[in-house]
Amino acid sequence: MKKQFKKVASKKRLLVVALVIVLVFVLNPFFILNSYAGDAPLAASGEAPLSTASNSFWLWNFLARLHPLTVHFPVSLLLFAAILELFTLKNFHSKLRPGINILLAAGVATATVSIIFGLLLGRGGDYNEDTLSLHQWTGISTATLGAVALFLLFKISRNNELKLIKPYRAILIVSAIGVCVAGHLGAALTHGSDYLSSTLPWSKDYEATPVKNVDFASYKNDTVKLSKQEEQELNMQVKTILAHNCYKCHGPEKIKGELRLDSKKMIFKGGEDGPVIVAGDPLKSDLFRRISLPANHKDVMPSKGKKLSEGDIATIKFWIQKGAPYSEGKNEETNYRVAKLEPRNPSLPQASTDLQNPIDLWVNEYFKKNKISWTAVVDDRTYLKRIYLDILGLLPSPEDLNNFARDPRPDKRSVWVRQLLNRNDDYAMNWLTFWNDALRNDYTGTGYITGGRFDISNWLYNSLKTNKSYNQFVKELVSPGKDSRGFIAGIKWRGVINASQRTEMQAAQNVSQVFFGLNLKCASCHNSFISDWKLDDAYGFANIFADSSLEINRCDKPSGKFTSARLLWKELGTINSTAAAAIKQQQLAELMTKPADGRLYRTLVNRIWAQMMGRGIVEPVDLMDNEPWSQDLLDWLAFNFEQRGADIKELIFLIATSKTYQLPSVGFKEPNQLFAKDYKFKGMLKRRLSAEQFADAVSSIVAPMYPDSLVKFVPFIETPAEKSVEAKPVEKKAAPTLTPAQKAAADKIAAEKRKAAKKLAEERAEAGRLVAYKLFTNKSILLYPRASLVINNKFLTALGRPNRETVSTSRESQANLLQALELTNGDRFNATLKTGAENWKRKYGNGDVLIKEMYRKTLGREPQQKEFAVAKKMLGPTPGTESIQDLFWSILLLPEFQIIY
Amino acid sequence: MATNWNRRDFLKNTSAATLAAMAAGTPMTSLLTSCNSKRNNAKADSVILLWMAGGMAHTDTFDPKRYTPFTTGMDANSVLSTFKPVPTVLDGISFSEGLQSIGKVMDKGTLIRSYVAADMGFILHSRHQYHWHTCYKPPQSVAAPHLGAWIAKELGPKNPVIPAFIDIGQRLTLGEGEELKAFHSAGFLGNEYGPFMIPDPSAGLDSVKPPVGMSYERFEKRNQLYKELVNQSPLGEYGSDYQKESLQRSMEQAYILLNSPEAKAFDLTKEPKESYDIYNTGKFGLGCLMARRLVEQGARFISVTTEYEPFKGWDTHENGNTRAKEMKQLIDAPVAQLVKDLDRSGHLDRTIVILASEFSRDMMVEGRPDLKVQEQVQQPDVIQDIKNYGMHRHFTDGCSVLMFGGGIKKGHVYGKTADERPCKTIESPIVIDQIHQSIYHALGIAEDAHYVIEKRPFYTTQDGLGKAELKLFS
Repeated sequence: MKKQFKKVASKKRLLVVALVIVLVFVLNPFFILNSYAGDAPLAASGEAPLSTASNSFWLWNFLARLHPLTVHFPVSLLLFAAILELFTLKNFHSKLRPGINILLAAGVATATVSIIFGLLLGRGGDYNEDTLSLHQWTGISTATLGAVALFLLFKISRNNELKLIKPYRAILIVSAIGVCVAGHLGAALTHGSDYLSSTLPWSKDYEATPVKNVDFASYKNDTVKLSKQEEQELNMQVKTILAHNCYKCHGPEKIKGELRLDSKKMIFKGGEDGPVIVAGDPLKSDLFRRISLPANHKDVMPSKGKKLSEGDIATIKFWIQKGAPYSEGKNEETNYRVAKLEPRNPSLPQASTDLQNPIDLWVNEYFKKNKISWTAVVDDRTYLKRIYLDILGLLPSPEDLNNFARDPRPDKRSVWVRQLLNRNDDYAMNWLTFWNDALRNDYTGTGYITGGRFDISNWLYNSLKTNKSYNQFVKELVSPGKDSRGFIAGIKWRGVINASQRTEMQAAQNVSQVFFGLNLKCASCHNSFISDWKLDDAYGFANIFADSSLEINRCDKPSGKFTSARLLWKELGTINSTAAAAIKQQQLAELMTKPADGRLYRTLVNRIWAQMMGRGIVEPVDLMDNEPWSQDLLDWLAFNFEQRGADIKELIFLIATSKTYQLPSVGFKEPNQLFAKDYKFKGMLKRRLSAEQFADAVSSIVAPMYPDSLVKFVPFIETPAEKSVEAKPVEKKAAPTLTPAQKAAADKIAAEKRKAAKKLAEERAEAGRLVAYKLFTNKSILLYPRASLVINNKFLTALGRPNRETVSTSRESQANLLQALELTNGDRFNATLKTGAENWKRKYGNGDVLIKEMYRKTLGREPQQKEFAVAKKMLGPTPGTESIQDLFWSILLLPEFQIIY
Repeated sequence: MATNWNRRDFLKNTSAATLAAMAAGTPMTSLLTSCNSKRNNAKADSVILLWMAGGMAHTDTFDPKRYTPFTTGMDANSVLSTFKPVPTVLDGISFSEGLQSIGKVMDKGTLIRSYVAADMGFILHSRHQYHWHTCYKPPQSVAAPHLGAWIAKELGPKNPVIPAFIDIGQRLTLGEGEELKAFHSAGFLGNEYGPFMIPDPSAGLDSVKPPVGMSYERFEKRNQLYKELVNQSPLGEYGSDYQKESLQRSMEQAYILLNSPEAKAFDLTKEPKESYDIYNTGKFGLGCLMARRLVEQGARFISVTTEYEPFKGWDTHENGNTRAKEMKQLIDAPVAQLVKDLDRSGHLDRTIVILASEFSRDMMVEGRPDLKVQEQVQQPDVIQDIKNYGMHRHFTDGCSVLMFGGGIKKGHVYGKTADERPCKTIESPIVIDQIHQSIYHALGIAEDAHYVIEKRPFYTTQDGLGKAELKLFS
C-alpha cells in the first residue's frame, strides 16, 4: 500500500514537473510576442527601440538585439519559481520542488545569457545613461542572487542543510523582485520612463491617446474589438454623417416623422414608427434600411438631397454592428485632443559646454529620445543669408558677407543677430508681410469700396518698428483705437450677410484663429463636429464684439435664443455681459493677455518658430490642439516668452542664436512627409523665398521692381505714432516746478524739436517718397520701395502673396505653372532685368568682373570654374545688354537663389 | 474596397487618414484630401463661359415681352421691353431685336428663361458675380474657389501645355477690381488652379510667348544657359529635394508651353481674315475667337467676359435702350459664330458653352417683386428723356441663360417668366447650384465633390446639396 502510494506520488511528481515545463514554454512565447506587439507601433513611428553601434562586428549586433528577447526568460522563470516557492512554505519538499528546481536553474542560466547580450546592446545604444547603468547593475545583481539561491538550494537538497532554507527563500524572493525592477528599467529604456505611467488618468503626463482617423467604412465584416478611442472616433464620424445629411429634417429646426437624430436620447427613442436603431443589428435597424435603399425608392433617406455615399452607409452599418456607441455631453471624455490652457515651465535640462541655449537643451532631449545626432552647424555664408532673410527679408551684400567672415569675435553670430534686430525699419518692413497676411490687412481689397473695412498698416508698422510687447500688440488689436480697429472690424460687404459671417462673428473667428490657433468657424454656424466647441461658445465669444447680444443663428436660421458674452475659457475670467462692446473688449484684452493664458503665447511662439524653421512645433499652426513634436520646448518657449516681457525680437534672437537654428537645412521629398504623424524634427526645412523677399532681392541687385507709384503704404511720413513719440518727452519735462530759466530752456528745446520735426517732414514731403527710404536706414541704403509696401500685383500674387480677404498664416511654397510663366515672360520681371542689365553693362565693361560680381551679389559666392566658363561663353567677349539680362534671369531662377537652405 | 481588414491594415490606414486630418489649414494644397468619387460618364471635356457682366436684362435680350416704343411722356410702368421681338429658328420663340444671329443657332442648344439669382439684399454687382462664379455668398471664412478652379483641380488641363483655367477679357484694375479679384481665384485650392488671365485677347499671344522683344532663338539660348547653370549649381549636392524639383519642373512646363505649337492658338493673327472679321466686334468678340481656337487645341475651362466695369457694359443705369443695342452688336455675331464653328468642327459635342449674367434688369423693380431692396437708380414714372428709357434697375427674379453642346438638349426651352410686370420666373426656377452641378454633370464631376479644408468639408455647391438639372440634357 505504502509502496503503491509512493509510486503514485512519484508519478504525480513527474506530472507536476511536466506541467511546469509545459507552462514555461507556453507562457514564455506569450510574453515575447506581447513584447513585440507593444514595440511594433513604436518601431513604425520611428522610435526604434533597438540601437547598436553600427560599426562593430555583425554577430555582436545580432546577439545584442537578442537581449530584449532573452530577458523575458529569466523574468518569467525566476518570478514563477519564487511564486511556486511560496506554495511550499509549509512543506519544503512539496511535490512542486522538482519543478522549482528546474525553473530556478533555467532562470539563472538564461539570466546569464541575457546579461551578456545586454552588455553588448548597452555598448552601442544612445540610452539615458543613468537608467542604463541602474538597469545593468540590477540585472547583474539579480542574476548573481539567483545563482546564490541556486547554490543554496543545491546544498539543501544535497546535504539536507535545512537551516539554509530561510536564507534561500529570502534570496530567491529578492532576486524575483530584482528581476521585476530590472525588467521595468529595461522597458523604460526602450519605451521611455513614462510609457506605462502616462496611461494612468491621475498621472500628470496623462494624455488621452490621440484620436485616430480610421476608415471605418472599410470594416464591413470585421470582428475587430474597438478600443475606447476607436469607439469614440467611430461615434464622431457617425455624428458628422448624421449632422451633414439628416439634421436638416431630423434636428432642432424640423422634426419630421417625430424623429430627431441630434442627441443620444432622441436617436434611440426613435420616431413615430418606433425605434430606428437596433444596436448590434443593422439589418433590423430602420435607419440603416432606409439609407441603403435605392435612390428612387419611396422610403429612401434622405428623402430630399442626395443619397449617402457608400462609405457613409458602410460606416453607419459598422457603427450599429458595434452596438451603436454614442457619447455626448461635456462631462464625458472628449473625442478630440485638447491642448492645455495653462502655462507650464518645465525645468531646463542641465547646460553643457556645448549646449547653452535653452532651445538646444530641449532639442537635445528630443534628439536623445529619437536617436538623432547633432551635426556641425552651417558655415558663415549660409548663416548670414538665413538671418538676413529671416530678420530683415533682405539678402546680405557681398560686403556684409566679407565683414562677417572676417569678424574675429567668437560670439559674432549673436552680435550680428542683435545688430540686424536693431535695424527697426528694415525689420518692420519684413515682418509687416507676415502680419499683414495674418491680420488680413491689405492696402486694397474688398470692402474698402463701401467703407466696410479699415486699414491698420500705420499702427502695425509702428508696432513692429517699436517692437511693441506682444501683450500690448494683442490688446490694441482686440480693444482697438481708431488706427488698429481694422482687424476686429472685419470686412463688411454691402447687402445681407450670412449670420456666421457678420462682422462680430468674423472677429470671434479671426481672434481665435490668429491668437489661439483655434478654429471657431464650424461652431459659428452649428455645434462643431470637429471639436467640442458649441454654437453657444462661438456666440458667447462673438458677443464680446457686439453692443447687444446677438441672436443665435443655427445654419443661418434665427433660433430666438441668446447667450451671454464670455471667453472661450472660463478659467481666464468673466466678461460683463451687459456692458458696451468697447468695455467688453477692454476686459477681453486684459483677460486674454494674462500669464495664465498659456495658449496665447504657445500660439505665438509656434508661429515665429514656423516662420524661421519652415515648420511649426505644432502643425498646422492654426490648430494648436494638435500634438507638438516637443511639448517641453513649446511650453518652455511660451512660458519664458511671457515672463520676459512678451518680446518678439528677443524670441527671434533666442531662436536665431540657437545651435538648432544653425543646423544644416533639411529637404523633403514629398510635402506630406512634413505633416505625417511620424514627423521628426532634424533641423530647419529648406524654404522658398517669399514673393516679397524675391522681389526685394531683385530690386536690390538688379533694378527696382516697383516704381514709387505702386507704393500703397508709406510708413515714414507723419504717422500719428511718430508724432506722439516726439511730443511726449517735451511735455514731461515742462513740469510746473521748473524755475523760469529752466522753463525757458525747456521751451527752447521743445521749440527746436518742433522745428526739426517740421523740417524733417518738409524734407520728406519735398523729396518725395523715394528719398524717404534713404532717410531712415542706418546701415544699408535702400533705393527702392520694399515689396511689402506695394499694392498687390500679378507678380507677387503668382509668387504666393495671398489676397488678404481671410486670415492667412502660412504661405504656399509650391512652384506651379502660372508662377513659372510669370517668371519666364512676365512684363514686370523682364523689364526690370532689362533695366538692370543696361546699368550693369555701363558699370562693368569687363565680362569677367561682371560674372564674378553677379555671383557674389546673387548667391553670395564666387562662381565655380565650370559656372564661370558657361557664363563666359554666354556673354562672349563684349557682353551685350541682352546676354547680361539672360544671365541674370538664369541665375535668379536657380533653386540655389530661390531657396533658403 | 477590401472587406476583410486586419489589425495591421487598420494601423496602416490610420496614418494616411490622420495625415488627411492634419492637412487642415495648411496652404500646401497637395495635401488637400480628395473625397471625390471617380469621374463618370463625362459628356463634355471643355467649358466656355460667356459672361455678360453687369446684369443683362432678360426682357431686352432673350425673353422679350410686350414692346413699347419710346415716346416723350410715356408711362414707365407700361414698358416691359424696349426692342421689337424677332422670331428665332425655334417655333414660337422670339429674341429681342439685335440677336438674330444667335436666334439662328438656337436649334443647337437650350434657352433657359427661369434663372433666379440669389437674394442678397442691397445689390452689389461684384457680390452677385462672386456668388455666380463660386456658388458661395461673400464674405466666406474660407476662400471659395471659382467654378473654373474647381474644374481645373478636378480634371486638370486637357492638354498639358494649356493652362486649365483661362480668363479672357477682364482687367482687375477697374472699379470694384478688388471684389473681382476675390473670386477670380482658386481660393483654398491654391494658386496652381487659379485663372490664367488674358485681359486683352488681341495681345493674348504676349502671354504665351517669350518676353516682349525676345526672339525664339534667344529664348532657346536663355533656357539652355539656365539648364547648364542648374546642373553646375552646388545646391545639387544636397540631393533631390521637393522644393528644388518642383521649381525646376514648373520652369520646364512654362518653357514647353511657350515653345509649343499650341501657343499659336493664342495668336489671333493666324486666323483667316474672313473668320476674324466676323468675330471682331470688339474685345469680347475676339475673346470668343480665342476661346474657340483654344478649345480646338485642348483647353479645359475658358471664361470670356464682356468685362465688368461699374456703369459700363451691361451695367446700364441710364440710356438702357441705346446701350443694350450696342451690347447686342458686340455679342450677337461672335457668339453665334462660336457655336457654329464648334459645331462644324465637331467640338461642340464635347464642349459645353454657357452664356449668363449675374442677374437681370427691369425698369421699375429693384431686387425682386416680393423682396424689394434699396433702389440705386432714379426712374421717373413718366419718361421725358430717352436716357430714362431702358432697363436700369437690378432684377433678380428672372434671368436668361443659354447653354450649348456637351449633351445639352438641342432646340429646347426651359422655364418661363411672366408676361406682365413683374416679369419673374413662373415655371421651373433654376438656381446657381443647379447650373454649376449641371456643368459638373456634363464633365462627369461627382455632385458631392469636396475637399476637407480646416477640417471641414467644402463642397462645389453649398453643403454639397446642389443637384444637376437633368432635364437640360438630351
